[in-house]
Amino acid sequence: MEHSALDRILAPGGITSVYQPIYTVSDHAPVLYGYECLSRGPQGTNFESPGVLFDYVRLKRQEIVVDRACIAAALRNLPHLDGDVQVSINVHASTLGRDPSFTEFLANTCRDTQVPASRVTVEIVEHAPPWDNEAFQRALASLRELGASIALDDVGLGQSNFKMLLDASPEFLKLDRYFVDGCANDPKRRAVIGSIEELARRFGARVIAEGVENEEDLMTVRGIGVSLVQGFLFSKPLSAIELTVH
Amino acid sequence: MNDHKARILIVDDEELIVQAMRKYFTGLGYAVDSAYELEEAQALLGHYKYDLVIADLRLTGIGGVEGLQIVADVHQKCSSTRVILLSAYGTPEIERESYQRGADAFLHKPKAMMEIAHVAVSLLDTR
Repeated sequence: MEHSALDRILAPGGITSVYQPIYTVSDHAPVLYGYECLSRGPQGTNFESPGVLFDYVRLKRQEIVVDRACIAAALRNLPHLDGDVQVSINVHASTLGRDPSFTEFLANTCRDTQVPASRVTVEIVEHAPPWDNEAFQRALASLRELGASIALDDVGLGQSNFKMLLDASPEFLKLDRYFVDGCANDPKRRAVIGSIEELARRFGARVIAEGVENEEDLMTVRGIGVSLVQGFLFSKPLSAIELTVH
Repeated sequence: MNDHKARILIVDDEELIVQAMRKYFTGLGYAVDSAYELEEAQALLGHYKYDLVIADLRLTGIGGVEGLQIVADVHQKCSSTRVILLSAYGTPEIERESYQRGADAFLHKPKAMMEIAHVAVSLLDTR
């Protein structure tokens, strides 16, 4: 191979950013709360699939450089941000634990793209150890000092456990679609969602339900107390151009 | 053969070989994915189920035996997936180890595409 897949991913234009709206839901019309920035690899390659892309990145242990590339692309190409619309970016826990200048990088990127850091939520993904917990804690503290919020992704799955909740003390818990999909007809899923909502309340955090795809599930998570939602019922991830045109 | 369109993963670090095999097996009616690196193949194996994997033994410079890792990964993920290893450098010891790890065939390169396809079709027919 003349160029490795990683070279292609990191080449200019290799990462494409799409944005999924997050809405505040209530008895009134949904209100745009923010966007989750999502990344896709080079078009026409296996890495268009985000699952394949990030599994590859983790296997190559290149989370730091790819996380930075994804964040730079996402913040550079953001849709127009009205009012106080928030922006969520995904970062591996290992990046926070191993990249001592990540906060500086984020601060510089926010400055260059004129996105206030106070509007940025850092979503911690793939929390699998090992990482340096002290360095991880320092990174979280510096991010908060910068003004960013912290979210924990995939709560209830894999490594997103109680220890991580204590360590990260996030402002937001992202409820994985696994629990949301079909919750209207599944009392056990409702029990899990209820327990996470209760946990969030005790932590002073808010739950964001991912993967809301139909009215029944939406009404169910609302009934449990979740007021931030994202999913295909509202919008699939879209490019900044598509979001701006709308 | 089973009714569904069999899905094949081709793994080789030589782009020309990958493209030639993709074209050949696509022409035979199979769904074909390809990967150029061990980690790319592993990521694909983590997300998709393949009926057959055709992998080169050596995916990096001199002395690599990444194909053996692919055999191990395939059998960890899905025991019904068949694996053909290809190698221009296969010693009897490596060939023996390949079979011990679960490879279904070990073919020495150069090998005519038609011969590879013959082995592939035979393996897919006996799933």
